Amino acid sequence: MKSQSAEKKYLPDMPQKEVEELNASVKAASERIMADNIERMKKTDPNRPAAMQYFDEVSNFFGMRQKEIQEAKAQGRKVIGYLCVFAPIELILAADAIPVRVNSGWYDTSKLGDRIVPVEVCPVIRSTIGAKMIDLSPYLELSDAVISTLTCDGQTKLSEILSDAKQMWIMTPPRVKDSAQSLHLWKEEIKAIKTQIEKLTGNKITPKKLKEAIETMQKATKAFRRLQDLRKGNPVIMGRDAMLVNQMSMWDDIKRWTKKTEALCDELEKRAEKNEWACPPDTPRVIVTGTPMFWPDNWKLPTLIEEATPQGILVGDELCSSDRVLYDPVGIDEWTMDDMINGIAERYLMASTCPCFTSKDGNEDRVNWLLNKVKDTKAQGVIYYVIRGCMLYAMEYSRVKKALDKVDIPVYYLDTEYTREDVGQMKTRVEAFLEMLSARVDF
Amino acid sequence: MVTTVGIDMGIQTVKVVVLKDRQVVARAKGFSGFEPTKAAEEVFVQALDAAKVAREEVSLVLSTGSGMDMAPYSNGTVSMMGADARAGVFLIPTARTVVDVGAEEARAVKCDERGIMMDFVVNERCAAGAGTFIEAMARALEVKMEEMGPLSLKAERASPINASCVIFGESDVVSLIHRQESKPEIARAVFDAMADRISSMVHRLGINPDVALVGGVAKDVGFIASLKRKLGLEILVPEYPEFVGALGAALTATSRAKGASK
Repeated sequence: MKSQSAEKKYLPDMPQKEVEELNASVKAASERIMADNIERMKKTDPNRPAAMQYFDEVSNFFGMRQKEIQEAKAQGRKVIGYLCVFAPIELILAADAIPVRVNSGWYDTSKLGDRIVPVEVCPVIRSTIGAKMIDLSPYLELSDAVISTLTCDGQTKLSEILSDAKQMWIMTPPRVKDSAQSLHLWKEEIKAIKTQIEKLTGNKITPKKLKEAIETMQKATKAFRRLQDLRKGNPVIMGRDAMLVNQMSMWDDIKRWTKKTEALCDELEKRAEKNEWACPPDTPRVIVTGTPMFWPDNWKLPTLIEEATPQGILVGDELCSSDRVLYDPVGIDEWTMDDMINGIAERYLMASTCPCFTSKDGNEDRVNWLLNKVKDTKAQGVIYYVIRGCMLYAMEYSRVKKALDKVDIPVYYLDTEYTREDVGQMKTRVEAFLEMLSARVDF
Repeated sequence: MVTTVGIDMGIQTVKVVVLKDRQVVARAKGFSGFEPTKAAEEVFVQALDAAKVAREEVSLVLSTGSGMDMAPYSNGTVSMMGADARAGVFLIPTARTVVDVGAEEARAVKCDERGIMMDFVVNERCAAGAGTFIEAMARALEVKMEEMGPLSLKAERASPINASCVIFGESDVVSLIHRQESKPEIARAVFDAMADRISSMVHRLGINPDVALVGGVAKDVGFIASLKRKLGLEILVPEYPEFVGALGAALTATSRAKGASK
C-alpha cells in the first residue's frame, strides 16, 4: 500500500466528511437494493430453492463474508483483488491468499467517477473509480494488491487511476489469441504475477500447493457445470438465482461455495424428478450476452426479463461476470511445475471469449461459444446488452447478429447506462422482444 | 359478432379505435396532457358514442403505447411493435417493414405475412428522429409545425444538419439561419436529418419491402419525401396513420376474444 502522503495523480482530495457522508448514503442505498433484489427473486419464484438462502447471505457486500475476510487478514492472510477474469485464481489460492473480484456494479458511484473521467467512459469503469473515491467497496478496500488486465482502454486507464490508492499488478493480455508468440508472452505474464504473489504473501507457491489449488478450482468448475446442465432442461431455477450463485464464486470461499452449489444441485435434481418448475416450462428462453453485469445494481436486465409480461426466463449468459467465470478448468497432463504453469496460461488465454481479441479469422470463439450455448440451452432469443461506452461489445454486435440470423435466432441490441431511470423504456423493449418470441412459436 | 377496443396511450395523444368483427366503426383522439388516464377515459367514451356501442357490448379492451399501463378499462397490453406489425399488415397486406414515427420515439418493425413481428429496432431514448424534433425546429424557424412539410418541398437543394439530438439540431438550425439559408432549405434539412436516422434504423433490420410508414409523423409530406429519397423506395402510408397503434391493439383484442392466445 502506498503511503498517504504520496501525491495522487488522478484521485481528488475529498474532505473526509464528504467521503463519509457519501459512503453512508450509497451504502444504505446498496443495502436496500440488495434486499429488494432478493425479495423480488423470491416473489418471482415463491417456491425458490431452500439452498438459495446461503447465497442470499453471502451476497451481502457488507455482511458475513466481509467480516470473514477481515478476520483472515488480521491473522496475516493477504487479499488479492482482480478486475478481470483473466486473473489466475489458482496462483492466488496456492499462495494461501484470498481472491476477490472488485469491479463495481453500483450505479450511484458512476456519477462520482464523472468527476475524474468523461461520461463517455464505460460506467463499469466510472463506477469502480467512484467506489474507490468514497472507500465503498469492502473487497477493494481489503485488497492488498489488485490484478488489472488491460483488455480495453477503460481498464488501461482505470489501472493508473486506482494506482493512486492501491498496489496495482498489471497484466497485458495479447490481442491475438491464436499465435505461438501470444501464448509465450502470456506465459511470461503469468510467471511475473506468480513472483508478485509470492513476494506479497511471503509464501512460496510449491508444486504441491499449486496442484491443490488447481484441483480446488476443477471441483468448483464441476459443480458449476452441473448447475449449468440443470438449466438446459425445463426451468428448474430462475436465471437470476443461477446468476447470483455464479457471481458469488468470485467473493466467497471457493471450497465452501462448491459444497453449497452441489447442495443446490441436489435439491434441483429432486425438484426436476417431481416436475416442480420455477416457472411454466413454455416460458420464452433467453440468453444475455455483452457487457458484464455486477451485483447488486446491475441486476436491471435479468430482473426485467423475468418479471416481464409475457414472462421470460434467463437460461444462460455469455458474460464475464457469470457463466464465463468457471466454465473451463485448467487441464493438466503432468503435475510438474512447468506443466501446471503452462496449463494455467493456456486456460486463461485460450478459453476466454472476450471481445478484446482479434485474429485473421475474426474472434470466432465467442460466436461459436454463443451458438453452442443457444443450442444447448434451447434458447429462443438473445439479448445483446451493451452499456454505453463499451466499444468492444458494441462493435462486435453486427457480426454476432449475422451469425444468429443464420440459425434464425432473434437477437435484440439493448443499450443502457448505470441508471435506474430508463427501466420504463427498457421494459417496453424487453416485453416486445419476449412477445415476439412467444408469437413466433404459437401462432 | 365481436366488438373490441384498442387504446394507444401515446406520449402526446391518446387514440382509441372501436372494431366490430375487424371493421373499424369509430376512431377518436385527444391530447394525453398531465392526466393521461382521465384524458383516455374521455376519448374512450367519445369513441363508443361515435360507434353507438354500449360498454357492455365490448368483449375486450387492450392498450398499447408508452403509457399502456395507465390505460383505463384495459384488460391487457400489447407492445407497440406488436401492434404496429399487426395493423400495418392488416392495412397494407404487402408491407413487411412498418416504420412508426411518433412524437418522441421512432421504431421500425420487420413482419411476416401474418402481421407477426420478426424483428424490431427502436430509436433509443432520443427524440431527434421523431415528431418533437419537427416541432422544436419549427419553433426555431418561427413557422407552424404543419407548414414545415409543404415549406420543405419548395427547397431547391439540401443543406446538411446533424440530428444527433434535438438541442444540437437546433443549434445547427440557428447557424443555418445565420448563414441566411432560406426557410424551405432549412425545413428540408430538418426532414433529411430525421430521415437519415430512420433509414439507418431500417437498414439495421435489412431493407424488407414493402415499407409502410405509420404514426403521427406519417402525415407529414416533408418527412415522407425525405424518407423516400433516403431509402430509394416507395413509402406506403395508410389512411389514418396515427391510429395504427390503437388499431393493432384492437385487432389483437379480436383474436384474443376469439380464443387465440395472441
